[in-house]
Amino acid sequence: MNIPKLVVKNLTRRKGRFVFTLLGITIGIASFVTLLSLGGGLKKEIRKQAAELGANLVVTPKGWCAYEQVSVLTGEQLPEGIPFSVVGKIAAIKGLTAVPYLTERTAYKNNPVSVIGILPEEMKRFKNWEMEQGKYFATQDEKALVIGSGIAGQFELKPGDELTVKGERFPIRGILKETGGKDDIAVYMPLSVTQKLYEVGSNVSFIAIKVDDIARIDAYILKIQEAANVAVVSDKQLLKSVLAIVGTVSMTLQLIAAVAILAAAFGIINTMMTAVSERKREIGILQAIGAPRGTIFSLFLLESGFYGLLGGIFGVVGGLLFSLFASPYISQNEFTTLIKGGDAAGALDLRIIFGSMLFSVAVSLVSGLYPAWKAARMTPVEAISYE
Amino acid sequence: MNDTIIRTENLHKTYTTGKVKTHALRGVDLEIPRGSFSCIVGPSGHGKSTLMHLVGGLDRPTAGRVFIGGEEITGLSGRRLAALRARRIGFVFQFFNLLPGLSAEENVATAMMFAGVPEKVQRDRSRELLALVGLSDKLRAKPSELSGGQQQRVAIVRALANDPDILLMDEPTGNLDSESESEVLAAVAKLHGEGKTVVIVTHNGEIARRAERVIRVKDGIIVEGY
Ligand SMILES: Nc1ncnc2c1ncn2[C@@H]1O[C@H](COP(=O)(O)OP(=O)(O)OP(=O)(O)O)[C@@H](O)[C@H]1O
Ligand SMILES: [Mg+2]
Repeated sequence: MNIPKLVVKNLTRRKGRFVFTLLGITIGIASFVTLLSLGGGLKKEIRKQAAELGANLVVTPKGWCAYEQVSVLTGEQLPEGIPFSVVGKIAAIKGLTAVPYLTERTAYKNNPVSVIGILPEEMKRFKNWEMEQGKYFATQDEKALVIGSGIAGQFELKPGDELTVKGERFPIRGILKETGGKDDIAVYMPLSVTQKLYEVGSNVSFIAIKVDDIARIDAYILKIQEAANVAVVSDKQLLKSVLAIVGTVSMTLQLIAAVAILAAAFGIINTMMTAVSERKREIGILQAIGAPRGTIFSLFLLESGFYGLLGGIFGVVGGLLFSLFASPYISQNEFTTLIKGGDAAGALDLRIIFGSMLFSVAVSLVSGLYPAWKAARMTPVEAISYE
Repeated sequence: MNDTIIRTENLHKTYTTGKVKTHALRGVDLEIPRGSFSCIVGPSGHGKSTLMHLVGGLDRPTAGRVFIGGEEITGLSGRRLAALRARRIGFVFQFFNLLPGLSAEENVATAMMFAGVPEKVQRDRSRELLALVGLSDKLRAKPSELSGGQQQRVAIVRALANDPDILLMDEPTGNLDSESESEVLAAVAKLHGEGKTVVIVTHNGEIARRAERVIRVKDGIIVEGY
């Protein structure tokens, strides 16, 4: 006989209670892992997209709220609030490059597809796009499309095929080289063609701006605001407000996980308290055959620690599986409609895995402290006389 | 070698439950020679079990002193007392002596674990000891699968597992039929023959007749036989 063996034998004596208590901590840890990994994945995605925008500043209509600003990153359809004349005024400012975006939406084979109206030449320079197949737009107002590699792959399209956008058929000129981001999953159309097709006059949705001297970014913001009646957000602010929203979401999720774990902890305490009172007489016998108090204490503490170890392992595995299956659905929200390739489970790193297991063991050890102390505090005679 | 193995000096034990004080022992002086077979008898509730617990280091006296083999154990730390119980004293109680989750063999092995015996030795020795009391075929049986007499024999074997000097038994045959009782008594007689000091608390006249010494406890003091 040895102590760990004795602990395991005690643990599994009441099979039903063992299983249910274990299930409690497993579910707690699984939800913790799931939410942590999904939250982390979301943050990673957002950062990636912000970097991809390639802009230092974004010009939006006055009066947009944080949510609408955030939508710039996610490619949601946005109101067409800026007259095209503003683009010219801003582009005239020295030391910056400005490209307008008109973000619209169409459906292809029952899937939503992002349609972005751009100035072909300016955009190509701005993004350093390269072609995978076919050709880029030949003129600034060609009635044709260039599509991202993701769209091409998803719908098995190649140059020369036709695509219907808002009821009109357009030929596909070329396919962009994979960028690894949301540029891959949009359809591009010259700005003037898009404006006509969607009947938005000469308006655009927002303007992305790259400045030559990042140190003077505040001065640029002032100049832009002098030139036109618009709002200017820096990518840092943009990122900040996205992360703030994501942060609130993941904090709420973590709070839910914390409640689940707290409930599991009380489950363990309850089980261990029951075990202590059930085994009063056994504690007396153990003491009579020579077990010191310290040993009685560790017997019970290890028993509850075991719940944490097993619950941690099962919980991490369960949480991992769940976030793997759930991430395609959960990512299908306002933030990430367009990031198809971004799977949140990828963000489940070793830190989360080992951190959660350690956390699980720590929670169950703490839960076991009081019951173990109760057990060890019993005097032999008190325990022996118990019938 | 001192031939008194258990000695108590003016032993008192008072239990306090709420405001009620029970004077279970009121000045017990006792001397038990090494290798003897003694019985403690007396009316119910007069302090027999209490005396046994104090002698075995399972509880602490309110006043007075206890010596085992010439060494005073009254002031020992909890850890030292536990070690004393593990190595030098074997207890057998009236009921539910065994750990219910463990087999006969594991019950005996667990006692050896607390004396620091290596696992390999634990196994060999517990099998050997159980064979001596005729339980070779019950090694893996749980206590619930054993008869009362078999359980008590396992308990005796476990008490002896670490080869203690002293065997303290509190009504070991209290709930056994006469056949099981004689099995247990045979085991006890054999141990005594091997030189162990045996102290049995009992109401059973038959056991008392066999004992070399009878100690009668009444109202928390010894009235005969010390
Ligand atoms: N843990 C305890 N707390 C309070 N009182 C106790 C405790 N243990 C024993 N007593 C009291 O001390 C007295 C002596 O008890 P003890 O168990 O020593 O008697 P006993 O002689 O062994 O009796 P029996 O033959 O019935 O086993 C009794 O009055 C009992 O009620
Ligand atoms: Mg008694």
